[in-house]
Amino acid sequence: MKNREKVLQVKNLYITFNTFSGKVHGVRGVNFDLHKGETLAIVGESGSGKSVTNKAIMGILSKNANIEDGQILYKDKDLTKFSDKQFTKIRGSEISMIFQDPMSSLDPVMKIGKQIMEAMLVKENISKAEAKEKALNLMAAVGIPEPEKRFNQYPFQFSGGMRQRIVIAIALACDPDILICDEPTTALDVTIQAQILDLIKEIQEERQISVIFITHDLGVVANVADRVAVMYAGKIVETGTVDEIFYNPQHPYTWSLLASMPDLDTDASDELLVIPGTPPNMLYPPKGDAFAPRNRYAMKIDFKKEPPMFKVSDTHYAATWLLHPDAPKVEKPEALTRRIEKQKERQVADNE
Amino acid sequence: MLRYIVQRLIAMAITLFIIISISFFIIHSMPGSIVDDPMLPEDVKLAIEDKYHLNDPLPVQYGYFLKDFLSFNFGTSIKVQPRVSVFDIIKAKLPITLQVNIFSLILTVPVGIILGIVAALKKNRAADHIISIMVILFISVPSFVFAALLQYFVAFKWGLAPILLSTDATLTWTKFKSMILPVLALSFGGIATITRYMRAELCEALNSEYMLLAKTKGLSQVQATVRHAIRNSFIPLANIIIPMFFSILGGSMVIENIFGIPGLGQLSVSSINALDHPLTIATLFFYSLISLLSILVVDLSYGIIDPRIRIGGRK
Ligand SMILES: Nc1ncnc2c1ncn2[C@@H]1O[C@H](COP(=O)(O)OP(=O)(O)OP(=O)(O)O)[C@@H](O)[C@H]1O
Ligand code: SF4
Ligand SMILES: [Mg+2]
Repeated sequence: MKNREKVLQVKNLYITFNTFSGKVHGVRGVNFDLHKGETLAIVGESGSGKSVTNKAIMGILSKNANIEDGQILYKDKDLTKFSDKQFTKIRGSEISMIFQDPMSSLDPVMKIGKQIMEAMLVKENISKAEAKEKALNLMAAVGIPEPEKRFNQYPFQFSGGMRQRIVIAIALACDPDILICDEPTTALDVTIQAQILDLIKEIQEERQISVIFITHDLGVVANVADRVAVMYAGKIVETGTVDEIFYNPQHPYTWSLLASMPDLDTDASDELLVIPGTPPNMLYPPKGDAFAPRNRYAMKIDFKKEPPMFKVSDTHYAATWLLHPDAPKVEKPEALTRRIEKQKERQVADNE
Repeated sequence: MLRYIVQRLIAMAITLFIIISISFFIIHSMPGSIVDDPMLPEDVKLAIEDKYHLNDPLPVQYGYFLKDFLSFNFGTSIKVQPRVSVFDIIKAKLPITLQVNIFSLILTVPVGIILGIVAALKKNRAADHIISIMVILFISVPSFVFAALLQYFVAFKWGLAPILLSTDATLTWTKFKSMILPVLALSFGGIATITRYMRAELCEALNSEYMLLAKTKGLSQVQATVRHAIRNSFIPLANIIIPMFFSILGGSMVIENIFGIPGLGQLSVSSINALDHPLTIATLFFYSLISLLSILVVDLSYGIIDPRIRIGGRK
């Protein structure tokens, strides 16, 4: 399998925000490792803390954020202790990030080429000509036709998909080891989405970089990721390889996510599972398991005590009391079981 | 682009026509006569009134006026500087106004921009609050109040600068010193406007997504601010700075009167007081022309400064 060298370790990360109405607990003790050359997908619904976790890694948390606890270990250093100046050194050249909205991520009044070269010229000791050459190569690599001509154009002359390619080129300009993609395809239409995903996959394989891929779309995950972490209400509730999450999900929230995801076989007559209720208000983090009020399998203990991470396999963990030896045996929803069967069949068919 | 400019120029001509027509009727409906000297014999008075068609009905007067105006014959002054062409009078007053106003502009623009940048970078901290209070003060207190206060305290009480503008013809040291107070009084409002604008634009730019990308690609906060945020906030700023460049031609009636600056502002006031109609209309026309031109230049300059319009508009 993959090289198991850990490039980034997030340990018990706890982040709150000061707001007028009180302290918002955005991230409540997140743990994960990122291995060299792998793509880790972080999925979860809106507000679950995906962006906050990754902004902490980049050192771009908003001013009202507090890192209450935890560590982010990168090359034996703890990023939570870094100053903005220290972060400036590693941003772009070691850890890079691309955002959701390619329409507003580019400086509207600066030429594309200049925006790609900017970080190289500031951070690396190279001449303008070298930087230009590198930028043109990058533009070609991310699939911009006629890079020479495009080099001197402004963002508004590019389509949304093209702009996201440019943003990727900018993120790669200083050869980072880790690339964080925060919902990079959400703002794009479906065909462009697929192209950008392919591009990220291609770049990841070619450069052997580690990618953290944030999304709330499980369909995307199956395409790009090696491993998946499912987040809910500021915590990771289940983590495992793509196969483990898709074919053997353990956490009821993961079940709901999977069952609520339309796929190719879904037609109008199929019922999509809707997750009842809304995510908890993170001003008052709930006692017990945050998912309990929306969970139809919830037991008494779920409202009192938070479940620990139970080990399913070496790579697969889930935080649900259902995995406790004393818990009643609960079956996955039938619709989900059927769907998993179908997927497995399709996979087998694909492989033949 | 050319077509657009032509369209705008035609619209401008129509606007100017409406403005001078309205001002003609308003000015001529003011009570009083230019020949109000009681010692003047009746027949002389009649002769003068006849010469300027003052006894004809207003529409007929308007006809004469338009005919002259359209042939660029703006007439001569009647009372302020009798028999001197109004064109020459304005030409003579313009440099005086310009001199004071250029100094004011040199002060206003950089100070306003710097204060705005400081306020945005120190948002919600002491420096920002102090600057905000200053802005509110400068915008809400009229310039003549500042002028009077400056004259009273700085000039009269402390004797640090002359009360009135020196009459030296060239820019001597005395003249320069006497210009300090009027320049200050003229600048406060502009500084406040630019500061407020700059702060708002820069705050928005600092929170933009492109700033985030600039930081994540490895620029320091200072580099990202200078290269991206400030650059971007300058574009909308052109909107208010360009008209300022034009308004320096106009001069301020109030400030010029207070400090005894014999410029355009003072000219228009004295022409109105003297019922010197041709001169009044000529100054009004000049003011309107300046403001309309500045609006046009703002619009056109966007096409030069902002690449989105410069290149996007060409298609
Ligand atoms: N600047 C902030 N001030 C206050 N609360 C914040 C701030 N940023 C994030 N939060 C809170 O932190 C929690 C996690 O937000 P986050 O942006 O990480 O969600 P997300 O998982 O990325 O969601 P999405 O899919 O919508 O991007 C939310 O409850 C949010 O309200
Ligand atoms: S711990 Fe309890 S409430 Fe939470 S997901 Fe498992 S069963 Fe549901
Ligand atoms: Mg997010």
